[in-house]
Amino acid sequence: MPDKTAAPEATEAAAKTATTTVTTAPDAVLSANAPKPEKARSLWSDAWRDLRGNPLFLISSALILLLLVISAFPGLFTSASPRDADLANHYLQPPNWGHLFAPDWFGYDGQGRSIYARVIYGARASILVGVGVTLLVTIVGTIVGMLAGYFGGLTDSLLSRITDIFMGIPFMLGALVVLTSFANRAIWVVILALVFLGWTTIARVARGAVVTIKQADYVVAAKALGGSTTRILLKHILPNALAPIIVVATIALGGYIAAEATLSYLGVGLADPTVSWGVDVSSGREQLRNAPFVLIVPSVMVSITVLAFLMFGDAVRNALDPKMR
Amino acid sequence: MRRAAAPAAWAACALATALAAGGCTGPPAAAGGPDGILTSSWGDPQNPLEPANTNEVQGGKVLDMVFRGLKRYDPRTGRAQDMVAKSITTTDARTFTVTLQPGWTFSDGEPVTARSFTDAWNYAAHVDNVQNNAPFFADIEGYDEVHPADGKARAKTMRGLKATGERTFTATLTGAYPAWPDTLGYQAFLPLPRSFFTDHDAWLDKPVGNGPYRIASYAKGSGMKLRRWDGYRGPDRARNGGVDLTVYTDAGTAYTDLMAGNLDLVDDVPATQLKFVRNDLGDRYVNQPALIIQTLAFPMYRKEWSRPGMEKVRRGLSMAIDREQITRRIYQRTRTPADDWTSPALGARGGYRALCGAACRYDPAAARKLIAEGGGLPGGKVTLTSNVDTGSHRAWMDAVCHSVNRALGERTACTVDPVGTFADFRNRTTSQRMTGPFRSGWQADYPLIQNFLEPLYRTGGSSNHGDFTDRSFDRLVDAANARRDPAAAVGDFHAAEAVLAEQMPAIPLWYQNGSAGWSERLAGVTLNQFSVPVYDRITVL
Repeated sequence: MPDKTAAPEATEAAAKTATTTVTTAPDAVLSANAPKPEKARSLWSDAWRDLRGNPLFLISSALILLLLVISAFPGLFTSASPRDADLANHYLQPPNWGHLFAPDWFGYDGQGRSIYARVIYGARASILVGVGVTLLVTIVGTIVGMLAGYFGGLTDSLLSRITDIFMGIPFMLGALVVLTSFANRAIWVVILALVFLGWTTIARVARGAVVTIKQADYVVAAKALGGSTTRILLKHILPNALAPIIVVATIALGGYIAAEATLSYLGVGLADPTVSWGVDVSSGREQLRNAPFVLIVPSVMVSITVLAFLMFGDAVRNALDPKMR
Repeated sequence: MRRAAAPAAWAACALATALAAGGCTGPPAAAGGPDGILTSSWGDPQNPLEPANTNEVQGGKVLDMVFRGLKRYDPRTGRAQDMVAKSITTTDARTFTVTLQPGWTFSDGEPVTARSFTDAWNYAAHVDNVQNNAPFFADIEGYDEVHPADGKARAKTMRGLKATGERTFTATLTGAYPAWPDTLGYQAFLPLPRSFFTDHDAWLDKPVGNGPYRIASYAKGSGMKLRRWDGYRGPDRARNGGVDLTVYTDAGTAYTDLMAGNLDLVDDVPATQLKFVRNDLGDRYVNQPALIIQTLAFPMYRKEWSRPGMEKVRRGLSMAIDREQITRRIYQRTRTPADDWTSPALGARGGYRALCGAACRYDPAAARKLIAEGGGLPGGKVTLTSNVDTGSHRAWMDAVCHSVNRALGERTACTVDPVGTFADFRNRTTSQRMTGPFRSGWQADYPLIQNFLEPLYRTGGSSNHGDFTDRSFDRLVDAANARRDPAAAVGDFHAAEAVLAEQMPAIPLWYQNGSAGWSERLAGVTLNQFSVPVYDRITVL
């Protein structure tokens, strides 16, 4: 699950260093008369160069790409259906490790369903939740954080206290309470519940970044030149506050996937007939002594996916935070 | 997982007790012998433990320890034997004279008298007291006045019930019912002490009865401590010091606790462990046929399931279930595919006969055809509901759905709605909040075919939670009850069952065996016909 207590301090510190060194677009306005360097080196191009040579980044992004393809086109990877159950012929049939990509590759579960097919089709739920929650959390958190940081005063106090209140709700407990009050838990209910509780970290990071950037010369200049608030926020502040936000968001993504699996395991997340790794881990638990592979295969898939996103987030942070270079 | 740390804590505890006696209360109590206390798994009962309001297994388990009625079913043979009753006599099978044995008292010292019974029964039958088991008194004259079908009661007590002395009373029935005395072992007919009426709330917190155990403490949702009542004068004194019942919301956890030595007795071995149970427990395991059938009842109070034509859909669904594979794979043959609405444990003479016929046989093609003829599933969907904390219900619900989906050639037509606790599920059942078929497990109250049919399917029956109603079925059941010849009565019940095969108000799934596993500390563990452990006969080594 997203670690809410430790992350903000560390990432906020990272955010400050990252933002103070940002000298990209606004420079073009401010230093029009200064001698031009041979090549414009922005934070982003530096980061990209850094990432290209980072094996951590290459491996994790390959894995993530694969997962994205699997969740978009599961049919490409298996011909079996995750819901076809055949108790008579396939009850707890053990894996056949040699049969790569065949329905019996990872064996069959206690209902006679192909575990390989379930794992492939289960990717979609995890990726949808992970990516969906991260996107929404970033949007909500950035808006709240930017408004609080830029306007300050009463607006800041109000928004920051609201953020604090939400931060005070224990993540898992809150999710359990919210989700148990929904009888029919479709995937968007789970996404919204996680967004509801998860936007605060980003809001804090965004606020911290904006407070620093607000005092930068180019912002003051834009104000002096009579730029509208919207224009300043969107053209000058947002692009420069984005780096720390992206760092926090990518690292949290893995956590949201793990959170979905946890909630589904506890029986309050996704439910049949949605195919999800968490649901399969939960049903595999009962078969632990009979057929451990029923539990292990989906668990390993959750681990690999979470690991891939964490590694990706780590690599992005290293690239965007000059202190880590 | 939650309990993983416990054994270590108790080890420390044992050390502490060696140094200074007492102080540690963690189960299991170390002491054995005649005063040894055993721990046993339990599920939270649905209602407060009023005998006439308890018509489910978990509450019944406790009532059987704390109370003794006029009769009790012999744990071995199932025959109704006199307990508090000295004799129950009749000349016309309509008016019965009950004489009580002297010397019976409640554990608070109050003697058990004729009024203990008549007051309890009048309380149970009265409409204002809203007791689940009230319909069990419908045979007694005057029931319709204290419990009219609608409107207010016109009398406080039933005319047919008269205390004629300190230890005698008469019961007059509305018609001849020769088998009536055999039904009196059921918990609805238990006696109640004065304190039940004078201080009802206190009684509910800690029920007082006349059985071999008394309740030492009861914490709703977590457990109950029962201790042997040393003042008990009945023939079946407890052979142990007491029983600590612990509530589990997952049979798997209870089994793990048994293996870890934290629990002495489990009476619901989870399906996924059945493969290992011989290996784990050796001969400390019993698995025997019981008077239990599992069915899927339809909510006939909903138009979409009860409108004419739907009987075809209901029959079709029954034929879409591959009982053979489910009982074989998921239940490792501790269930037997059902082919009627009673139980083979009744025996052929008792009335068991495979009357469901083709409607209970797996035939996907016929199932598809029948469902299509009946107009299809309501909205193209069906949702099964059951509690999932006991009986491995989640696994079979999934399997039944897969079987139905396969037969229909649709992948998500059938879905399941797992309910976390038995009590919650019972509340949804009794308050009629089901939208599709729901599990209806029936453990007989007494070993008579009547008990498998009348309470479940007769109009207004005490456990007819689907609100099924059929006039010819009612007529046949009434006719059967009036028969003096048991064989003739069984014939009428068979005819009534034929109505069920046609209407299919509930799909027979399988007959359930009773199973239990226990620790090395216990001896003499047996199950009665109702698959409940006979606690008073267990000895702690």
